[in-house]
Amino acid sequence: MDDTRQRIIEATYACVARRGLAKTTIEDAAKEATLSRATVYRTFPGGRDELISAVVSWATLEFFAKLYEHVQGAESLEQVMEWGLVFAHRSILEHEILQRVMQTEPEKLLPALTVESVRLRQGIAAFLVPYLAARVARGVDLNEAADFLARMVLSYMSAPGRWDLDDPAQVAQLVRAELLAGVVGDVEGGLR
Amino acid sequence: MGAKLRVVDGAGQSGSDDVCLPTSSVHTSPHRLRVIDATLACLARYGTAKTTVDDIARQAGVSRATVYRVFPGGRDEVLAAVVDTEMARLFSSLGVRLGEADRLDDALVSGIVEASTRIRGHAALAYLVAHEPEVVLGHLAFDESDRLLATASRFTAPFLARWMSPLEAGRVAEWATRIVLSYAIAPSATMDLTDAVQTRHLVETFVLPGIRALHSTALATAIDITPFADPTIAVHPFEHGIDTGGSDRTRPAKGGTS
Repeated sequence: MDDTRQRIIEATYACVARRGLAKTTIEDAAKEATLSRATVYRTFPGGRDELISAVVSWATLEFFAKLYEHVQGAESLEQVMEWGLVFAHRSILEHEILQRVMQTEPEKLLPALTVESVRLRQGIAAFLVPYLAARVARGVDLNEAADFLARMVLSYMSAPGRWDLDDPAQVAQLVRAELLAGVVGDVEGGLR
Repeated sequence: MGAKLRVVDGAGQSGSDDVCLPTSSVHTSPHRLRVIDATLACLARYGTAKTTVDDIARQAGVSRATVYRVFPGGRDEVLAAVVDTEMARLFSSLGVRLGEADRLDDALVSGIVEASTRIRGHAALAYLVAHEPEVVLGHLAFDESDRLLATASRFTAPFLARWMSPLEAGRVAEWATRIVLSYAIAPSATMDLTDAVQTRHLVETFVLPGIRALHSTALATAIDITPFADPTIAVHPFEHGIDTGGSDRTRPAKGGTS
């Protein structure tokens, strides 16, 4: 059953990549997955909405997995956040399917994406906790700090605002000064 | 289907880079505001999908013809004007709070609380979030978010520039906007930004240290110091540190207020 579910999800994703979100129907997904419509409806009783949510969920997990892989070699909290921010920012910009759907039919995607962003935030916070645990300043609650940092990472990576995230000096300043100053007792590199 | 809320400027042209705030007196004609407030009442009850020009006219106690006279673009133009007006009202109340504050920490706390409270208490917004989320979320994702951040920070930065350089003020204003948006979109059980005590805790723990650190790095590395517009100011007026108020009054703020 898991295999079937995954197969349908990946097939649907391929359809969306080719023809966009609005034009991807249950029929398209079934054909692409070489399964019957009945199988698709059995796997996703909530119909197209449930299927789209599942695709967004899967795509988000894939994104997070790549992000995780990218920051594996980071040796400090600062590096984790800097590498993570830069990579996430670039990935979003270069994500063809995401960009295309956002240009053409964002209203279909956004509710599901908003749900996923909560999960993404929790994932990022959980990931930061071990890096934070050794460094968090006295009086600062570890989980509160992790949640706050995760919120900020999500915010900056999807909308850089006044910051040029392609400039390493600015990324360093954002992470080490603005974001970490209140969180860690002693910021790496001496920037306070 | 719900209309996509598009922002237009006073002349009815769309496509400006950010949200336009009505500034001319044309925008305060009694019929215009009456129609806008009537639309807000309809939205709070029925959302965009079921708010027609007839509903709006009836609610406002005017004729359809009047609605179209004030808003030739019809329902779409009305909805866009509603967004502009509510943003202007939010910024206006924010400006009052920020202007009242004597200290940076108070400004940040009261600004964040004000914005968060108004967003949460907004009846039409609450209805749309609950029943037509795609209408609201369209204004909050990626590029739209950048635009919103730019508008909000452009408005609030001058208030913060009492305590820091304009460039720093812009960054801090943007940061505060991000904080408000993040917790408004995805509330936290343990951090309620409509509560002044909890907001002060957040500001003191995370924001003030960040502001001080940004200031120090700007001085130390000159990454983003740009010349002030006033050519008679040769030296950064805050070179001895920022007086952020509260318990951290250990350093004198040269040129600072309070």
